[in-house]
Amino acid sequence: MTNDTSTDETVAAGKEETTAPMAQLPTPNEPHHDTSTVIETKSMNVYYGDFLAVADVDLDFAKNQISALIGPSGCGKSTVLRSLNRMNDLIPSARTTGEVHYHGENIYAEGIDPVRVRRTIGMVFQKPNPFPKSIHDNIAWGAKVNGYKGNKVEMEQLVQEALEGAALWDEVKDKLNDSGYSLSGGQQQRLCIARAIATKPDVILMDEPCSALDPIATLRIEELMLELKEDYSIIIVTHNMQQAARVSDKTAFFNVKLDDAGMRTGRLVEYSPTEQLFTSPKEKDTEDYITGRFG
Amino acid sequence: MTDTRDTNIHFHQELDELERKVLSMVDRAEQMVEMAVQAVTTDDIGLAGRVIELDDGIDATYNEVHQGWTSLMARNQPLGSDLRRMTSLIQLNVTFERMGDQCVNIAKIAQFNEGLPRVERICEQIREMGDLVRPMIRTAIEAYVRGDVDEARLLPAMDQPVDRLNANMYKETVAVGGNPQLLEWATKMLMVSRALERVGDQAVDFGEQTAYLITGERAEFVEEGMAGSTDDRND
Repeated sequence: MTNDTSTDETVAAGKEETTAPMAQLPTPNEPHHDTSTVIETKSMNVYYGDFLAVADVDLDFAKNQISALIGPSGCGKSTVLRSLNRMNDLIPSARTTGEVHYHGENIYAEGIDPVRVRRTIGMVFQKPNPFPKSIHDNIAWGAKVNGYKGNKVEMEQLVQEALEGAALWDEVKDKLNDSGYSLSGGQQQRLCIARAIATKPDVILMDEPCSALDPIATLRIEELMLELKEDYSIIIVTHNMQQAARVSDKTAFFNVKLDDAGMRTGRLVEYSPTEQLFTSPKEKDTEDYITGRFG
Repeated sequence: MTDTRDTNIHFHQELDELERKVLSMVDRAEQMVEMAVQAVTTDDIGLAGRVIELDDGIDATYNEVHQGWTSLMARNQPLGSDLRRMTSLIQLNVTFERMGDQCVNIAKIAQFNEGLPRVERICEQIREMGDLVRPMIRTAIEAYVRGDVDEARLLPAMDQPVDRLNANMYKETVAVGGNPQLLEWATKMLMVSRALERVGDQAVDFGEQTAYLITGERAEFVEEGMAGSTDDRND
């Protein structure tokens, strides 16, 4: 999903037609909800047409933790990630069954507004995709289309807070009117993170956020993730096992399984504390994958 | 996952080679224990010299392994059982180098004790300790190579008589009486006993590494019935 991410995010940012009535999504800290788990999937299946891409996923993601999804290409980890904020709805053939609960509420239930879901559960993509606008407007415009109603002073404060939150403010505060494209790749990715933060999400999904970045820029994003988890819950898909080992608290390993008909379906193999998964995994498939013995 | 192939084969080949080098050290250490005990109990100075020479080889391998390990770690950042194997190898590298050092200590005592009067009963005890320690090293090697945790767990029990003999050596030393030369010899033999006791402990450590490698859990082997014994493996 590198070529059409701008489209996705533009739509996710608010241009999609919203036919469903606005249903109440829970707010994160309502006392009657279990705040230790932000998102929980229950027997989740994702299909593309008739093809079962990923099957029977039961996962729970903890508040203020970084959870990593790893696995070989085609195992369904990005599909799972995109199902957590209904981003897959944007793919016409995609269909999700089972349930995805956000603070106990099924986000796939009738009447839930997917745009609101995506605002609460934000997303950062593999390739930095700033809007063709100034650094300032990347934040301000993104917030506006997501329904931000603050006045000019409040908006300036929001822009600064978002850029500070993404550890970018000091580098751009004197050139806020420059194009977002004038920034380096790593800075552009932090701009996208700032844009995601500006909508005040509860959860940030990251789909291989460092795969287009050099090692130094990668390190800065990883440091940023560790800072962001103080305020947000983060779920990251990464191909880089060392990255998952460095930043995440818990790691889910997905693998591709061939069924009797020869269909390749992604399945969750193991979900363990990261330290355990990378030193003493419970499942042989995990062990084979992390040691490179993989068919 | 029916068709598992090794996509990390170059790393695994290098890891295998590193492991062979580390195991060659303990093979040599086992041989050195036998030679050192014979040298110190028979006043064989030539044999003691050969022990010291063999240790130079262990020291050279130790440096090679350390360098190879660092390079392998930097280039591969291994995970899972590969990571456990790597951490075990760097630990074993140190353990085996120290086994070699203990043998050198014994060999040097053989050189020092040359020509001094001796007590045959003490020599017999030292030989007995050597005969107990060498099978411990062999058991530890075989447990590692076969990945057999149950076999590794035999080591604490095998170590018990070594500890008992070492504890008894103090009494034997005191019992040699007032002859200054004999007392000097016996005091040095007490150090030989202590060195062999340490080698036994190092064999138990080796077994613990094997258990960690296989199970992923770190646990110190407990010597049953030896509470309050002279087990001081943390030295």
